[in-house]
Amino acid sequence: MKSEVKVGDNRLQITRIFNAPRPLVFAFWKDPERLQQWWGCKNTTKVDCSMDFRVGGSFTFVMQITGAGEFSYKGQYDEIIEPEKIAYHADMGGAITDVVVEFFDQGAQTKMVLNQVGFPAQNICQMVSQGTTESFDKLDSLVSSQALVSQA
Amino acid sequence: MLDKRKAVTAVFAALADPTRRRILERLAGHGERRVTELARPFRITLPAISRHLRVLEHARLIRRRRRGRTHFIRVNAVGMTSAQKWISHYAAFWESQFDELDNLLELAQQKKKPN
Repeated sequence: MKSEVKVGDNRLQITRIFNAPRPLVFAFWKDPERLQQWWGCKNTTKVDCSMDFRVGGSFTFVMQITGAGEFSYKGQYDEIIEPEKIAYHADMGGAITDVVVEFFDQGAQTKMVLNQVGFPAQNICQMVSQGTTESFDKLDSLVSSQALVSQA
Repeated sequence: MLDKRKAVTAVFAALADPTRRRILERLAGHGERRVTELARPFRITLPAISRHLRVLEHARLIRRRRRGRTHFIRVNAVGMTSAQKWISHYAAFWESQFDELDNLLELAQQKKKPN
């Protein structure tokens, strides 16, 4: 597990260092052609991204997931500060999640911090990958040993 | 599976409210507390606190013990554990995506290097 994960009552925070300069990391969130190459879980075979990358703009990612079919991840950008921050809210069939991603310049590296608030009780990827619980178990033990992120 | 989803939804709905989160914080590490004692710092009415407690109880985040008219409240580990398990599934989801992003970033930079 490369990321640092913190879990709170209603919030997930993931911190990860990438060996790439910040503009490049940001580009992989901003350009649909680049984003669709890494978006989706292991069972996702194809992703089609349509994005209006601006504050108030909408996006739709259509994912083809083996064993489950086609699913859409839709949302809207709430805040964009290039190349520092992207905030959006997304709908995965019912409940809304708020996601804020921040990018910190560390020279040849970039520290990326992602905060997700809200967890729709319908994680498609989790439902599909019923058999691969090993990574979840690892995370469970990690999560239980992490300090809780306190809410203001 | 459906029951599990309902249970998890109840937990997150319960946790979405800041007053309820603060109630849980006040209970953490304190064992049992009387409702009246629990309610003290909150500037809302006792019936309002009771409503919050019912939501938390329904989500299995707290347990209630009655002794005559006195109600004692404590954290229920069952609810919190299921919430954290679910959150960990999302952490795994992001992790696999970031692993892929990692690979792509490495590839992108290799292309830029002169031969």
